[in-house]
Amino acid sequence: MKHEISALMDGELFEDEADSLLGQIRRTPDAYSDWAIYHLIGDVLRQPDSIHRDLTARVSECLRNEATVLAPRSRALKQRARVFALSAAASLMGVGMVAWMTLQINPETSPQLAMQQSGMRPVNLQIQPAANDYLMAHQEFSPSNDMNGGASYIHTVTYSPEEKSQ
Amino acid sequence: MKAWVGFCGLLLTFNVCAAGGQSTSDMLKAIAFAGHQTDYSGVFVYQYGNHVETSRISHIVDANGEYEKLEGLDGPKREIIRHHGQVWCYRQNQMVQVESQQGKDKFPMLLPNQLSALSENYKVREMGTDRVAGHETRVLLFQPRDKLRYSRKIWVDKDTGLLLKSAVLNDKNQIVEQYAFTELKVGKDADRSWIASDEVKNLPGLGQMSADKAAPAVNSGWVVDELPAGFKKTTELIRPMHGNHAPVTQLVYSDGLSAISVFVEPVNAGDEDENEGLSSRGALNFYHKVVDNHVYHVVGEVPPITVIQVLNSIRYNGK
Repeated sequence: MKHEISALMDGELFEDEADSLLGQIRRTPDAYSDWAIYHLIGDVLRQPDSIHRDLTARVSECLRNEATVLAPRSRALKQRARVFALSAAASLMGVGMVAWMTLQINPETSPQLAMQQSGMRPVNLQIQPAANDYLMAHQEFSPSNDMNGGASYIHTVTYSPEEKSQ
Repeated sequence: MKAWVGFCGLLLTFNVCAAGGQSTSDMLKAIAFAGHQTDYSGVFVYQYGNHVETSRISHIVDANGEYEKLEGLDGPKREIIRHHGQVWCYRQNQMVQVESQQGKDKFPMLLPNQLSALSENYKVREMGTDRVAGHETRVLLFQPRDKLRYSRKIWVDKDTGLLLKSAVLNDKNQIVEQYAFTELKVGKDADRSWIASDEVKNLPGLGQMSADKAAPAVNSGWVVDELPAGFKKTTELIRPMHGNHAPVTQLVYSDGLSAISVFVEPVNAGDEDENEGLSSRGALNFYHKVVDNHVYHVVGEVPPITVIQVLNSIRYNGK
């Protein structure tokens, strides 16, 4: 089993084999923990900034062991104010968390990162006016001159939105 | 007069072709002919992304050749005047002549080999009729056979053969850019007063163009290994460029509808402009990069992937 899981992670299995193995992993807790450990090992070897570790079991254990406080309600007013302040802070943090997570899962983020890594910019960047001479030189020989006539020169005189705001 | 008769003949061809679904090359020749030989003036709207602008164009043919003026009607003042292979552009509050390598008007510019390449690279479909700027038009769609070029949809005036609307579409059928006339005057109604204006008379270097001004064809040794199928080299020359110290080698490749220009120049010492990367303006994509002490610029009316592929396969094959 361990051997197969390792092969799956290396991408050495065929699609149908991989499907059935993933099903088994889901059903067998031992296989699932092997799967998680292998990923952890892989992550550590690749030395990422953060390591994924399944903390759910430990967190719920801690919660179970937490003592329930049954204290009398003395100084109730003050306490209530403090509770309110705390919950307000907590909900703000919640909002912050959600915003942060939205940023993390924004689908546009990853391609942009990929572009930066390869030293390339996203295509929505406008051609800079400094390049107009090249466009003009290109336009001279483009067959679009014949089709569209002078209108094709619009490429060389159109203005960028940045120019407009100046 | 001779030209006019020829034009009428071609226009007839255009209508016959369109009706009978004959060779597209004759049809395109008719469109090109109309664009060069017709007097027209009008206003058109140009749009790409969320950018929209309006321009006025006027094209007049007289004994001295073709005169053409294109001016932006919104935003900062922009203007281009073309006459007899010379080009002027409005820069720093005056009309400046732009380095042009064309020599005298070449006509028709659509070369026979470009036209034959067209049907190899595009499927042409008739899309019926439509009205543009109050004129009846015939709609044609050019669909590429691969994803390395854009689709074109054109609206051609049934009476004059002029292109009244044109759209460039990507492989998802989204409009990359389009322009459409909103107003058009043809023949004697066209605005021709500006030809006699002081602005035109005072154009620097007007008429001072010798026939041998055009740069001689060269073999620079630069080659592109991975051109998309059907792109053939139409021009190779070495030209001076505004603001560059050394002359620039330019190679132009065309598939009949679109062109790709490759510019190669040595890196200027002290040139700190390292803005490598991809940028676009409507259907034009522009990619530049420094490779082995040379700056490569690739520009064309083709998708981003194509300019990248072309730039990455530039190679020096000379001695």
